[in-house]
Amino acid sequence: MSASSVALNPAVPASSAWSRAFRLIPGILLLIAVGYAGKFIEQSIAHYTKAHHITAPNIEYVLWAILIGLVLANTIGIPEVFRPGVATYEFWLKGGIVLLGSRFLLADILHLGGISLGLVAIEIALSLTLMHVLGRIFGLGPKLTALLAVGSSICGVSAIIAAQGAIDADEEDSSYAIAAILALGAISLFTFPLIGHSLHLGEHAYGLWAGLAVDNTAEATAAGALYSDTAAKYAVLAKTTRNAMIGFIVLGYAIYWASQGRAKAVGNKAAFLWQKFPKFVLGFLLISILASAAVFTKPQLTALANLSRWAFLLTFAGVGLRTNIRQLFKQGWKPIAVGTIGEVVIALLTLSLVYGANRFFTL
Amino acid sequence: MSQPENKPRSKWAFSLDTWAVFLALAAAALVRLHIITHVKW
Repeated sequence: MSASSVALNPAVPASSAWSRAFRLIPGILLLIAVGYAGKFIEQSIAHYTKAHHITAPNIEYVLWAILIGLVLANTIGIPEVFRPGVATYEFWLKGGIVLLGSRFLLADILHLGGISLGLVAIEIALSLTLMHVLGRIFGLGPKLTALLAVGSSICGVSAIIAAQGAIDADEEDSSYAIAAILALGAISLFTFPLIGHSLHLGEHAYGLWAGLAVDNTAEATAAGALYSDTAAKYAVLAKTTRNAMIGFIVLGYAIYWASQGRAKAVGNKAAFLWQKFPKFVLGFLLISILASAAVFTKPQLTALANLSRWAFLLTFAGVGLRTNIRQLFKQGWKPIAVGTIGEVVIALLTLSLVYGANRFFTL
Repeated sequence: MSQPENKPRSKWAFSLDTWAVFLALAAAALVRLHIITHVKW
């Protein structure tokens, strides 16, 4: 279950709330241990190579944390006691993104956000069309196709979960779509930085590309961080712009399926949009406004940026720990095939969009 | 761990997404008030 679907309800008895909070502790400690192990390995290798005058490529803590998580999850597995806490990785991701707002001046967000918004609109239109065409060619059910289209065009797992409720899709369709999106997200972590380096993409252009093309927010942030700190910043900005669109796209699908008599009609559309809107986008903007208004001193901005890095460290550990490779391959080949072809084409299209934007605007 | 279908959600029940925003804003306030200082990376 996605961490974002979990609700904290103060109306429940205090003992129940405490026992729920207590259940999160082992998994959160595991996230800290895996994330810190990744950081420790990166630093140890860097110290060793420096002390012995060895030239070696620096493998970022991001990759180590994800790899350790992947190995643990797919060899010994994650015992039940750790699972609720591991699922909080999205909580740390959203918190980290809000704090990352301190590294953007509002003027930068308006400039780059404007460019991102234009690119995102084109990307969403192309992705939705492409996934529907592929779904038809491969004979996937219309709701599974819709879920894959929403997942690949906007924001991965959160969008699929939001759309599943809105269009009354089957649980099975939703788990197929989530499995395909997660599998492709994991692959993009290893391929995007390699492609970016081989094409000599600048940090800004690469970050925008990762934010536009990688589906899940955690993977998009990690794909950016694997390139550079600045690339991660730009990946988060582009991805956040995509996330902000989730309500509009899901509302469009909900209205369409209701008109076909295959989903409940949407009553209050403004309330629907607010319910689906990712609130962390507002937090991100608020912190950026405060930073732009010089509310924080320079050392304080550094402290906020470092808190954001620590939050992302837990997120990256969670990305590896929740990826079950065996389960992904059990889901059948058709959704994976549609997702793979779709993602490769979307990656190429968004790469050309970024190249175009890089030519006409200052990225 | 989601709410049971037949139980209406309290108006104070926030998603984990919103709690993440509150936590981040609280951390920013603590940094601004010099309660959290020198966060190392």
